Amino acid sequence: MIRILALVWLAIVILAAGYLAVRIHDGLPLRTDLLALLPREDQDPVLQRASDAVSRALARRVVVLVGHPSAKEARAAAIRLTADMTATGFVDPVADALDVDRLKQLGTLYFSYRRGLLSEADRALLAAGEGEAVATKAMAQAFGVGGIVDGNLLRSDPFLLFPSFLADLPFPLTRLRIDDGMLTVTDGHVTWFLIMARLTGEPFALQVQQRLVDAFDHSAAVLRELHPGLQIKRLGAIFFADAASRTAIGEASILTNLSLVGIILLIVIVFRRARPLLLNMSVVGVGIGSALAGSLAVFGELHVASLLFGTSLIGVAVDYGLYYTSSVFDPAGGTPRERLRRVFSGIVLGLLTTLLGYGALALAPFPGLRQIAVFSVIGLLAAFATVVLWLPILDTKAARDPGSFLTAAGRMCAFWEAASLRRTRSLLLFVALMTALAGLALVHTDNDVHRMQALSPELLHEQDEIRDLIGTNAATQFLLVEAPDDETALRREENLAPLLARLKTEGALLGAQMPSAFVPSAERQRENQALVQTALEGPLLSRQRNMLGIDPAVADANRSNNEILTLNKALASKAVPLLRDLVLAPGLHVVTLQGLARPDAVRAAFADIAGVRFIDPTADFSALLGKYQQRAVLLTALSAALMFVALAVRYGWKGSAWVMAPSVIAILLTPAILSLAGETFTFFHAMALVLLLSVASDYAIFCAESPADRRAVTLLAVWMAALTTLLSFGLLVVSRVPAVHNFGSTMLIGILLALFAAPLATRGSVKVKRPPARIARAEEEHARIV
Amino acid sequence: MIRLFSGLLLGFAAVLVATLPLTLAAPTIEVTPLTKDQVLRGRFEQLRFLQGFQTPLKSAGTFVLAPELGLIWRTETPFELTTVMSPAGLVQEVGGRETMRMPSARIPFISKLYAMLGGALTGDWEALSGAFNITRKTEGKGWRLKLEPLHADDPEMPIRTIDLHGSRYLEDADVVKLNGDRDHLVFLDQKLESAPPTPEEATLLAAAGQR
Repeated sequence: MIRILALVWLAIVILAAGYLAVRIHDGLPLRTDLLALLPREDQDPVLQRASDAVSRALARRVVVLVGHPSAKEARAAAIRLTADMTATGFVDPVADALDVDRLKQLGTLYFSYRRGLLSEADRALLAAGEGEAVATKAMAQAFGVGGIVDGNLLRSDPFLLFPSFLADLPFPLTRLRIDDGMLTVTDGHVTWFLIMARLTGEPFALQVQQRLVDAFDHSAAVLRELHPGLQIKRLGAIFFADAASRTAIGEASILTNLSLVGIILLIVIVFRRARPLLLNMSVVGVGIGSALAGSLAVFGELHVASLLFGTSLIGVAVDYGLYYTSSVFDPAGGTPRERLRRVFSGIVLGLLTTLLGYGALALAPFPGLRQIAVFSVIGLLAAFATVVLWLPILDTKAARDPGSFLTAAGRMCAFWEAASLRRTRSLLLFVALMTALAGLALVHTDNDVHRMQALSPELLHEQDEIRDLIGTNAATQFLLVEAPDDETALRREENLAPLLARLKTEGALLGAQMPSAFVPSAERQRENQALVQTALEGPLLSRQRNMLGIDPAVADANRSNNEILTLNKALASKAVPLLRDLVLAPGLHVVTLQGLARPDAVRAAFADIAGVRFIDPTADFSALLGKYQQRAVLLTALSAALMFVALAVRYGWKGSAWVMAPSVIAILLTPAILSLAGETFTFFHAMALVLLLSVASDYAIFCAESPADRRAVTLLAVWMAALTTLLSFGLLVVSRVPAVHNFGSTMLIGILLALFAAPLATRGSVKVKRPPARIARAEEEHARIV
Repeated sequence: MIRLFSGLLLGFAAVLVATLPLTLAAPTIEVTPLTKDQVLRGRFEQLRFLQGFQTPLKSAGTFVLAPELGLIWRTETPFELTTVMSPAGLVQEVGGRETMRMPSARIPFISKLYAMLGGALTGDWEALSGAFNITRKTEGKGWRLKLEPLHADDPEMPIRTIDLHGSRYLEDADVVKLNGDRDHLVFLDQKLESAPPTPEEATLLAAAGQR
């Protein structure tokens, strides 16, 4: 029977391996952004969509400055770099560029609607009845020295309202000028040329990151050699994401190798044979492989974080293998099947309690964590099946002499049992209690995303330099304007303008861009047309024409009509840069903010205005992490409670309390110790606690399930399980990525505590003379199968 | 916008070039650079020929050129208009009311431009010849100077040619723009004074470019 099941399992594993091979061959679809892992809950889909759209537009922007004392060399290098980046196929270099053709298109679009388009200053003058001032200003330009006056323009626009409107458009690149089709700025002796591009691929897709940044770095290196003294500065989410993934991947490969070597050494030293190593490797291999295949089949893609966390949970699965393989040292000896029968109940209970915890993760309202849950559950079940079905078949028959390790492991029991140490134990308990109380009282939570990522300081510096050089400073925060239609939204924005102007004078921000600055509402355009008619053309047109010597007959022929420029017409023309990013949907507009110095002041100013919201995606995301952190803590508590009840079925209430004691000690003392050590508690600490609970409860159950004569063997297994876990996750404590470090530090302290306290659980097992019917039946059934 | 601003600035550049004193412009005469404490004063008449206009826009007034400090261009007819350009920026006003102000901090190009012209004023032609091809020839007692942009396709360069003509001082200038519009300037009653600008002029020059 077991052979048939083992063969069925083999068939399933082969199938999964085949599927996985095909998927990996096509390129593993890995995602690296945190945002994708923890999607916002669907409380407000509009908000989420807006926030995502704006963040995505920002994340796709790539800005590069190429500088050299010789403008000619800088230009040549910039052109070459643009070509090299474009050649990757991941960027579109002209999407954002404000080149000469674009300006011409822009002028052409606006020109036919110019009667409705006024600069703020002209509008204010006309509204105040000072048409005379507007007329004089135009005359000054027409007669003054130099001047931009173009004969054709002056004839059709004798008050020069149109150039005034164009000059008023809020383009953000205030320090740049156009030099032969390229934007440039000179600072000191260095002339910089700007490359603006938009990613066509996903900035957080690992492949896009690596290929584009590799191409960029290669091109930059070649150009630096070609033009000594060349400077290149870059800005864009993709560079940060790439640097972060490189750090993470670099660290991960070092840590993985370290932990792999450590684990192999540990198993080889303890067992002094290759077979247990191979057995445990196959358990982990099958577990991770099946989990990967299963998750890819369910979700289509995989997030790096769920890979990390999921794989870590499978580290728990190796415990089952170790628990079984250690039974080779059992003084009672026996065939592999007999030995499996003895550890079976421990493994089943361990699996059940862990699944309880992760089942809750899958069912609880954690949409984003579902991937981790599915990954873990599949992996655990696969590891369990491998231990139970394959290991006895693959294992050697003979029992072995344990050697000195067993005696050493057994000594840990002595600490908890020796009567002479009773006082020490009480003292320790007291210290632990005080530590827990003091530490937990001091716990300080902080989920600010900025502090969870290891942003490359070099890139941050370049980002500041670029912002200083080109004079732009786009904030990630923005205002969202919601209205039933575009016209209403545009009017709302026009009403915001005075408030924004006030905030600007107060120094809260440097500038803002909104759709209505590029396309005024129809209402505003009609007002403008009326103003031009009554305050300017009515009283002053003939005088102006007289002074300028314009023939009225000719001029009237190309006078503009009273047509209205609609947002849709402007969007369709594609002539207005930025506009596409500002209009998300009909009636859903974005006001981007520049040089936001005091976000709180801006947030407060717009708090009570209907249809306008201040959105701070980073703060929202930090808040979201905070919420998830609370839930992870809650989930840990809930899982512990569920485990307690489930274990009470087997051990009774008192026994269950003893079995749960090591886990509870670990999950309470760990955050307490960390907070005493000065670490703030984050989402990643909380996630480690979830894992810690299931690991600690496994250790405790293994201890509780072993009769006194086999206890030392069990403790040896627990020791090895703990050491492997420390080698894999405890090592993460050295990571430079705060999120990973947080996870590692929790695991490091928690596992040590769980290991130390595990023998306490044996006190719960004393009465396991007559196992409850359900477990007994399972055992009998298994015995029959075996 | 960017192009309009730079177009405007080049307009000023043309005039500044046009007001260079003879001593600097004439290649055959010993160069005596304008010094810091000298001021060139004179009157001007400007005829602006615009495409599609039957009559040129006519204006006249006085100017003051002070090296390192800037240029004051006072139009008196058909109405009073003062334009001041200094390294820090430019400002234009009509009857005490400001109609335009451009600090060079906002448009760094303006200071680069001024450096170019300031260089020319003190005998350093290199910066100017980096942007223009300069042809000089003598014509009887006087001389003629033709400036053509080196990069005619540069969108920042709205000027086709600048023609300068004079003898002791620059006497008239023709600035032709790309679209065919043309400014014809005549300079009269010029005199070089070895005195600093008047306090009133100094105030005007200092005010240009302030925010």
